[in-house]
Amino acid sequence: MKVIAAMRGRSRLMLIAAIGVTAALTATACSSNTSSPAATHSASGSAPSGSATSGNITWWASPITTTSPDPRTVLISAFEKAYPNIHVNLQSAPTDTDTNRASLITTISGGASSPDVFMGDVIWPAQFGHSGLAQPLSSYFPSSYWSSFAPGLVQGATYKGQVYGAPFFEDQGFLYYRKDLLAKEHMAVPTTWPQLESDAAALVHKGLVKYGYVWQGDSYEGLTCNFMEYLGSAGGSALNSGLTQATLNSPAGTEAANFMRSLITSGASPSAVTTFQEAQSMSAFATGQAAFLRNWDYGWSYSQTASSPSSVVGKVGVSPLPSFPGQASPGTSNIGGWNLYINPHSKNIAADVTFIKWMTSPAAQTILGTEFSEIPTVQSVRQSAAVKAKNPVLAIVGDTRLIPRPAQTPAYAKVSQAIYTNINSMLAGSTSVSGALSAATSQINSALNSSGL
Amino acid sequence: MSTPSVAPAPGTGVDVTGTAMPKHARRQDVFRRQQARLGWGLSAPALILIGAVTIFPICYAIAMSVSNVSATGSGFSLSGITGSNYSIMFHAAQWRYALFFTIFYTVVTVAVEVILGTLVALVLERLTAGRGWMMALLLIPWSMVTVINAELWAYIYNPTYGVLDAIFSHIGLGSPVILGTRVPAIAALMAADIWKTTPFVAIIVLAGLVMIPRDYYEAAEVDGASGWTAFWRITFPLLRPTIALAVLFRVLQAFGLFDLPFVLTSGGPGYSTQPLAILAYNAMFRDLDFGPGAAVATSTALLVVIGCLVFLKVFRAQAGTEV
Repeated sequence: MKVIAAMRGRSRLMLIAAIGVTAALTATACSSNTSSPAATHSASGSAPSGSATSGNITWWASPITTTSPDPRTVLISAFEKAYPNIHVNLQSAPTDTDTNRASLITTISGGASSPDVFMGDVIWPAQFGHSGLAQPLSSYFPSSYWSSFAPGLVQGATYKGQVYGAPFFEDQGFLYYRKDLLAKEHMAVPTTWPQLESDAAALVHKGLVKYGYVWQGDSYEGLTCNFMEYLGSAGGSALNSGLTQATLNSPAGTEAANFMRSLITSGASPSAVTTFQEAQSMSAFATGQAAFLRNWDYGWSYSQTASSPSSVVGKVGVSPLPSFPGQASPGTSNIGGWNLYINPHSKNIAADVTFIKWMTSPAAQTILGTEFSEIPTVQSVRQSAAVKAKNPVLAIVGDTRLIPRPAQTPAYAKVSQAIYTNINSMLAGSTSVSGALSAATSQINSALNSSGL
Repeated sequence: MSTPSVAPAPGTGVDVTGTAMPKHARRQDVFRRQQARLGWGLSAPALILIGAVTIFPICYAIAMSVSNVSATGSGFSLSGITGSNYSIMFHAAQWRYALFFTIFYTVVTVAVEVILGTLVALVLERLTAGRGWMMALLLIPWSMVTVINAELWAYIYNPTYGVLDAIFSHIGLGSPVILGTRVPAIAALMAADIWKTTPFVAIIVLAGLVMIPRDYYEAAEVDGASGWTAFWRITFPLLRPTIALAVLFRVLQAFGLFDLPFVLTSGGPGYSTQPLAILAYNAMFRDLDFGPGAAVATSTALLVVIGCLVFLKVFRAQAGTEV
């Protein structure tokens, strides 16, 4: 009985499969003759052809900008125009990255098939890949697809030889400065950290501005980004190449940490910088209280929008971050940004792949760059005149030197916590530079050997 | 259900043999059994629901804390029984500090809240006009969501445009970095907590105060006792059960401290304001260390239960000798 039932089940399955294949063949044949909108689109080269042209998918993404219109809905409607039979349902994710990750982890590890595609941080691939919370993508895309991205981005999304996230848009650290203040004091845009420090302190001492240089020194992920930039500029690294040991307690690490602390003691940065995240440093700069700011690419549009509210419209310049004397110039900028991942339980992976392919196509990437000032991940779009002309930040993206965070280990969250908690208490003066670096080293080592909490 | 005066003393239905039992007693026994069955039947849906949403998760957390847990694409996989999660926890300096911090925070805030709350209640009790309005006003901090409270306090403590910063720089004390330095950050959290929950303690204590019969005080007055003596000899002993209740509620809540530091300091500077609940949350949902995270959560719950039982026992013993 059971055997017969199984046989019957199997033959029914075969029948359905046969019908499916026939239908697909017919559809392909038809489309090549009658040219459906999707086919025309791919033929014109503005969108790569996906592997499915119908279905419903749910896209989990946190808000990309605070401005209107919402880039997510603009992109979705452009996608649905190209693929009228795929319907994308946007599920807005929490804006806090850690809350966002916690929700995704509980959802996906609970076996939910929705969301199908999720927008996740560039530091997630190792953790998600290690725990099977993201679908390996390498087999769904040809290698020519991966080589279309700017150098380093795909490598950052790779864990143990598999790519887990398609780079969606990128972000990195920039130095914003007040052109008017520098001109008044006949100062050049600083290219070394010590020069920035003395310029900032001088502007504060002259009473021209309340704070010299503001950045992100709070005890959170952003401080790891800032620290990595100083560390990279000083020629150091956080982990060894085998990802088995911390390497930040080095001359370069000491130089970086000493310099960060001296920014506060010299008066170049306020002591409140140890509680600053992006929002606080951005608002200090936009309200004209600071001469220099380290921030991500939105710092430009935010400071140039009078409704932000910004009192420095037209007075802001941007450059790559400075470096330490005797080191390669410019200094290193930390890689941030977001990838698109697929939920391994998704019921419609073919449509997910189509969606991701379109979102990383020149068409979508141009929308992100020219309409929303996000840094495109596709190299050709990044270098296109239309994107570069959009604003000074996008114009200098090619001039920066990028450094990734040590996120290639699944224990990255702990590694980062070891960095930001210890550097933060060093900045606040509660621990010495050497004490902070050696505490961070031992915590990182125990995290890498998975023996710590 | 049946009142104690009607029901036979416990055990009699079992001890007495069927033949010796009077007829009406046997009938009553059958009736009681029927009633019990009906009772269980009627409360079963509620019990099943409670079991599903509380007992199962608690047992699951305990199971997770003693086995090797890994998050996989298809749910959690638990394998073997191990003590390694607890051993990782005991060896972590972060856990020891979080334990110390949580206990210290609980003791200080609950003590201050009980003292302040009792004082407020004593004032409220004497208030003749506008007591209702005062109570409503006092309850505002307590009735607000803690996360909103915390955001408000974040504005007060903000080092660049905060209220405290403005006051300090106005009187020439510079700009203190409250949330970025260890001791001020802990004090700032405690202040926000005390501001929020003192009214809660006050309301409970006030309820206890109005229950104390007036004639006790009249008798004391006749005997020539001072107000101070009356407080220590009458008010305080009779308030003890109420205060015990307030302390119990507060300890349970304070030990689960999460939202205030999560919003105000995210555990910093360093991890000097990281309570056990945030440590467990970070271990589980940020690091995916589900085993050690469950160990922290389970041991915290166990500590609270033991602490409360000991407290109740001590308090009841003391209350028994004095009242």
